[in-house]
Amino acid sequence: MTKPATDLISAPVWDAFVRVFHWSLVLLFTVSIISGKVGGNAIQWHMWSGYAILALVTFRIIWGFVGGEYARYVSFLTGPVRAMKFAKGLLGKTHEHVIGHNPVGGWMVVALLVLLAMQAGLGLFSNDEIATTGPLARYVSDETSITLMGRHRTIGDILLVLVGIHIAAVLFHLIVKKENLIRAMFHGNKELPPELAREAQTARKASITVGFVVLSLAIAAVTVAVNWSTLFKP
Amino acid sequence: MKRLTKIALAAGVLAVATTAIAQPKPENFVKQRQSALALIGWYFGPLGAVAKGEAPFNKEDAVRRTTNLVALSKMPWEGFVAGTENVGNTKALPAIWTKTADFKKAGDNMQAEMAKLAALAAAGDEAGFKKQFGAVGGTCKACHDDFRKQ
Repeated sequence: MTKPATDLISAPVWDAFVRVFHWSLVLLFTVSIISGKVGGNAIQWHMWSGYAILALVTFRIIWGFVGGEYARYVSFLTGPVRAMKFAKGLLGKTHEHVIGHNPVGGWMVVALLVLLAMQAGLGLFSNDEIATTGPLARYVSDETSITLMGRHRTIGDILLVLVGIHIAAVLFHLIVKKENLIRAMFHGNKELPPELAREAQTARKASITVGFVVLSLAIAAVTVAVNWSTLFKP
Repeated sequence: MKRLTKIALAAGVLAVATTAIAQPKPENFVKQRQSALALIGWYFGPLGAVAKGEAPFNKEDAVRRTTNLVALSKMPWEGFVAGTENVGNTKALPAIWTKTADFKKAGDNMQAEMAKLAALAAAGDEAGFKKQFGAVGGTCKACHDDFRKQ
């Protein structure tokens, strides 16, 4: 049963790193898609935003092990049976509250992270056969580079579809389930039933230090990868 | 008279030779267009580093490249003759032969933008050159998107 809103208590769920990651990614993903479609000199923006996405996603993948409780995979990854059950419940009249990512959304998070990492990684090796090659394209054959470019296009399309589903799901929660997940991703708090709210309040917090260390490492790793040819001149 | 015979003979030999090379096989057409486009890539690609600010603008080099490019930009089109749709390793899409007007327009756009790029190189207009480089690249992409297998 859907509980009346008055019974719900606001509790912190999303740590600051998750939130900044999410909205930075929204911005960068938009820049990447548009600049990729436009081409021409916009491709410079495409490359910069791709590097930034690679760093962010690298960070987020590690953050899934060491971040705040609800950023961790162990908190949101469930088996297919649980996910199916939750999905069925969503389509029915019940409203099962979940503190972090729900069992279906959790898998979407993983799918998006994996595909984004692949996509940005492929970009580094791609050759668009016009005047742009990724910074690591020189280390593979032209044939490989052009093949990888094809994969880069395909995954770009898949990502657009997944992002579309992601947005549709969030709007479904907003309109049908009256649960504003968008606002929660801004200020970090979710409206939860008392027992879940208490659990969220006492859950493991994110370490700011660990967050910045991981973020710095991710940025450093991407910077080295992108500048590999100038750092290690053959 | 003897001289005239020689000329006639030479003309005859030339005529035979011309006829011989004027009947390329379908694969020769594919090779022609791929070669022209590969050379366009060769001369155009390095200018991308200039447009991105990764390499300095060198007027002499820009003029040399764009002069070649203007000539090359006119070349690939005669290779896209009917009957070469599925020859060899071509990436040409059937749309080239079904939407001929659109394909011609795509080619004309590239040639027009390339000519502008050459003019800017000749004028030594670095900022204009960099901007126009993107316009040319856009015409490459537009045609690749619509008429080339990805």
